[in-house]
Amino acid sequence: MKMEDMSLSGLDNTKLEALAHDVYSDLVEDACLGLCFEVHRAVKQGYFFLDETDQESIKDFEIVDQPGVDIFGQVYNQWKNKECVCPNCSRSIAASRFAPHLEKCLGMGRNSSRIANRRIASSNNTSKSESDQEDNDDVNDNDWSYGSEKKAKKRKSEKNPNSPRRSKSLKHKNGELSSNVNPDLYKYNYSSGISYETLGPEELRSILTTQCGVVSEHTKKMCTRSTLPDSDTMLENDGYDAPDGQLIMSRLQWDGSSDISPSDSASSKASTNNSESKRPKKKKKPSTLTLTTTGSGGERDKGQERERGDRDRVVCGGSGSSSSQNALGLSSRKKRPKLPVPPALSIYDDLN
Amino acid sequence: MSKETQMRAAINQKLIEMGERERLKELLRAKLIECGWRDQLKALCKEVIKEKGLENVTVEDLVAGVTPKGRALVPDSVKKELLQRIRAFLAQQST
Repeated sequence: MKMEDMSLSGLDNTKLEALAHDVYSDLVEDACLGLCFEVHRAVKQGYFFLDETDQESIKDFEIVDQPGVDIFGQVYNQWKNKECVCPNCSRSIAASRFAPHLEKCLGMGRNSSRIANRRIASSNNTSKSESDQEDNDDVNDNDWSYGSEKKAKKRKSEKNPNSPRRSKSLKHKNGELSSNVNPDLYKYNYSSGISYETLGPEELRSILTTQCGVVSEHTKKMCTRSTLPDSDTMLENDGYDAPDGQLIMSRLQWDGSSDISPSDSASSKASTNNSESKRPKKKKKPSTLTLTTTGSGGERDKGQERERGDRDRVVCGGSGSSSSQNALGLSSRKKRPKLPVPPALSIYDDLN
Repeated sequence: MSKETQMRAAINQKLIEMGERERLKELLRAKLIECGWRDQLKALCKEVIKEKGLENVTVEDLVAGVTPKGRALVPDSVKKELLQRIRAFLAQQST
């Protein structure tokens, strides 16, 4: 059928209207038929009249509207005031208190055992202070007493004197460095408010002889790891750092200044620990060298000790320096972390 | 076949093809339920059933008894709305 044949614009309005009505009546008839089919099916299946109930049932389930009663006719607090007789102690208890009473009365349930234990413990404690040795033994045998629990708790609650929190409060007193040493022996201390610019040379020296002192890039705080000898850490670190040593060494040699010999620079750093305090003020350290050796001064040292001790000796050309370096390395196992400090100092000075 | 019947057939075909007929049907159903027409007609059906007896009622009985009244019972608002939509569709088709 072509569009021209179907062209509705050719028709006048009445015909158009008639057409619309036809469509409409078709739709309505469809709706009616649909309904009839549904009803017929319901009748034949027997569920058409289900929504109709007989009068008697309707009366039974009528909505109740009396005071004190819900719509079903049930009383709300029917059992509130009733009393029950306890089978154990033969007392009459109120209904709402019946279950807890039964718990205590029969000795079952969580709370009753707790209370009983507490009573035992308190009686133990009172008797313990007056008792003889024999009694003490008996009491000690009883592991699960409140007294022993108390002791254990006390021990636990004694705070670790080396905890970071403790040392934090101590740390901020710049003058009292001796008190800092003990806590720092065991842990890193992150709350250092010290910066190198503010400290004087003497203070710096005393700090850096005991602590690492590397300023972290992320937190801008000084590493306060202790520099005392500790063989365990060395074993851990060496395996990790060895591969880097070679790369770093080659880089150092390429940079080539007077300090370039790695062993020399290492030894020079090790020996000039005491003069580190002067460095931030001098600002004379060559920057190229410092950049490459920043994080790896320690690594270099270790690497050399491990695998390239020989190479070092060859490079520096003198057994004296190498042995000195080795000696320094051995003695400064814990000092290793300090080595990066001088370059770090100057770097930050440069940046600042 | 006259032109008009042809036209009608064509229109119907178009309606079905475009899904407009389904939409109109749904719309009408919803409107009729909303206005209570359906319940009214159900009551009429009940009367027919009671008249004819539950066991013997046939579809034809129901249809014959209910449809004419059903057509008349459709509210005017629903009728108007539906006619409007149909006219719009026709206008669309003629352009």
